[in-house]
Amino acid sequence: MSYEAVAIIMFGSMLLMLLTGQRVFAAIGIVSTVAALLLWGEGGVEMPFTAAFKLFKWYPLLTLPLFIYMGYMLSESGIADDLYRMFHVWFGGLKGGLAVGTIGLMVVISAMNGLSVAGMAIGATIALPEMLRRGYDKIMITGVVQAGSSLGILVPPSVVLVLYGMIARESVGKLWLAGAIPGLMMAALFIIYIVIRCRIQTHLGPTVSEEERNLPMSEKLKLLRAGIVPFLIFFFMTGLFVMGVTSLVESSAVGATSATLAALVKRRITRKVMEETIRKTLGVSCMFMWIILAALCFGAVFDGIGAARAIETLFITNWHLTPWEVLIMMQLSYLFMGMFLDDTAMLVIVAPLYVPLVKILGFDPVWYGVLYTITCQIAYMTPPFGYNLFLMRAMAPPEITLGDIYRSIFPFVLVMVVALTLVMVFPQIALWLPEQVYAK
Amino acid sequence: MPSFVVNYVRIVDYLSTRFGRIAMYLIFLMIGTLLLDAITRNVLDIPLFWCVELAQFTLAAYYIMGGAYSMQLHSHVRMDLLYDRLSERNKARMDCFTAIFLVVYLIVLLIGSISSTIYSIETNQRLFSMWNPSVVPIKLIMVFGISLILLQAFSTFFKDLAKVRGVKLV
Repeated sequence: MSYEAVAIIMFGSMLLMLLTGQRVFAAIGIVSTVAALLLWGEGGVEMPFTAAFKLFKWYPLLTLPLFIYMGYMLSESGIADDLYRMFHVWFGGLKGGLAVGTIGLMVVISAMNGLSVAGMAIGATIALPEMLRRGYDKIMITGVVQAGSSLGILVPPSVVLVLYGMIARESVGKLWLAGAIPGLMMAALFIIYIVIRCRIQTHLGPTVSEEERNLPMSEKLKLLRAGIVPFLIFFFMTGLFVMGVTSLVESSAVGATSATLAALVKRRITRKVMEETIRKTLGVSCMFMWIILAALCFGAVFDGIGAARAIETLFITNWHLTPWEVLIMMQLSYLFMGMFLDDTAMLVIVAPLYVPLVKILGFDPVWYGVLYTITCQIAYMTPPFGYNLFLMRAMAPPEITLGDIYRSIFPFVLVMVVALTLVMVFPQIALWLPEQVYAK
Repeated sequence: MPSFVVNYVRIVDYLSTRFGRIAMYLIFLMIGTLLLDAITRNVLDIPLFWCVELAQFTLAAYYIMGGAYSMQLHSHVRMDLLYDRLSERNKARMDCFTAIFLVVYLIVLLIGSISSTIYSIETNQRLFSMWNPSVVPIKLIMVFGISLILLQAFSTFFKDLAKVRGVKLV
């Protein structure tokens, strides 16, 4: 049998396994295990555990549980309540202003955390109920929270870019900086979309009443203090890392500690909060780590059959695609697979196949990392499989149905595709900042 | 269900919870070790070369030992496009059937971990670094954690089987 056929059969059976509803890590694990045993007989027995030891060597993944912990801690700390009040008063007068404020809130949360979990938890518990109460359109705001929280993986720090950095052997610092401007640009595009839409369909986002936001200027300025703690956390975590004071894994420990301190100062930590935080952290960390563990084994089998070379031959030798066509092909295939397959697993399995090709074609792997992350964001939101969809379903208030959630993402996915295209056409959007900082 | 099955489920669930909850607290060890590293190097100017490796060992223990408990907590995502439309009973039926995949994967993982540990013991394998720690302890913990998940997979299987038959277990 040709190796191409093996690769296709493996993908097909993985999809089939996933459809049975078995846990994602088990579905990926069994396909790779069986493939390894069939291809290499007894020698394949070691492969699943070899992946575990490879994962052991990927120590930057220490950032994963630490960021998850930090995310839950931030959502418990009450930092978000103050921030939300600030955005509420400052943007309340605008049509759709609370939705705009929510995007602002999400950018701040994203700058403090490298995953979308924190933004989702805060968005669903604080911003969503408040906007619903004020008669905002539930489909639009569901989309706002989902799209906004996905900025968590693009705006530095970002765990997805840590994972990409390990696969592509690129500096995480450069990757994080490369994500900053595209992240802010995407947030701006979300805001533009919301403002235009609410201006045309005014019932979607009514303004907040006069008396509620007509505070004296001194009061209004006082509210800005809510931004101090997030700024400090951002500085001590990402700032010190980019300046080279702390290492990557140390910076995530600094972040976790500062979130805990913030919660302590606000007297939000009780035994119950602590217990819930660390239990959820264990659950989510184990889920991700086991998926990565299984996906690494899958990737090792792919490596063994030379799948990267096969894709190169297919795209360049057989189909005669130009570099740009290859790039677009890769993004489309990833978007398509990301809909049905687990996104983290996709990153671990597909990135090692694509990154060498990106380098051969002469593209910048740092820039490609940003493209990859944006695609990941889209995959997080698109049904039937996406982490933000799962989280949204678990956390959203009961009046928001599954149908609402599915419908809500559509315009935001379009905005993301626009952002993706912009970064593709103008690589400097991503590359300018890291070049400025690391050139010296 | 026969009483030995009931006892098995009780004991295994108890063990998974116990060890999982120990693993749960390791997050503080990871944060603490890395913070110590950052502070001693930058503030006190005493570089500690063993911190990152210790945190690395802790991470492996964390997710491997927490694996069984996280399975109990239903933390592992599933692709629920079709699965979600099944009734509770049919979900259990499906899980009983697909449990074989989980179990086979875990068994192969366990075999690999045991042979890798034996190799490490025989060759006295160490991490190549300044601290130069032995990898045997962490590998033993991994063997233990993987065994625990395997035991937990059977326990979950029995619980699903009971659900299919409509009987109460434990």
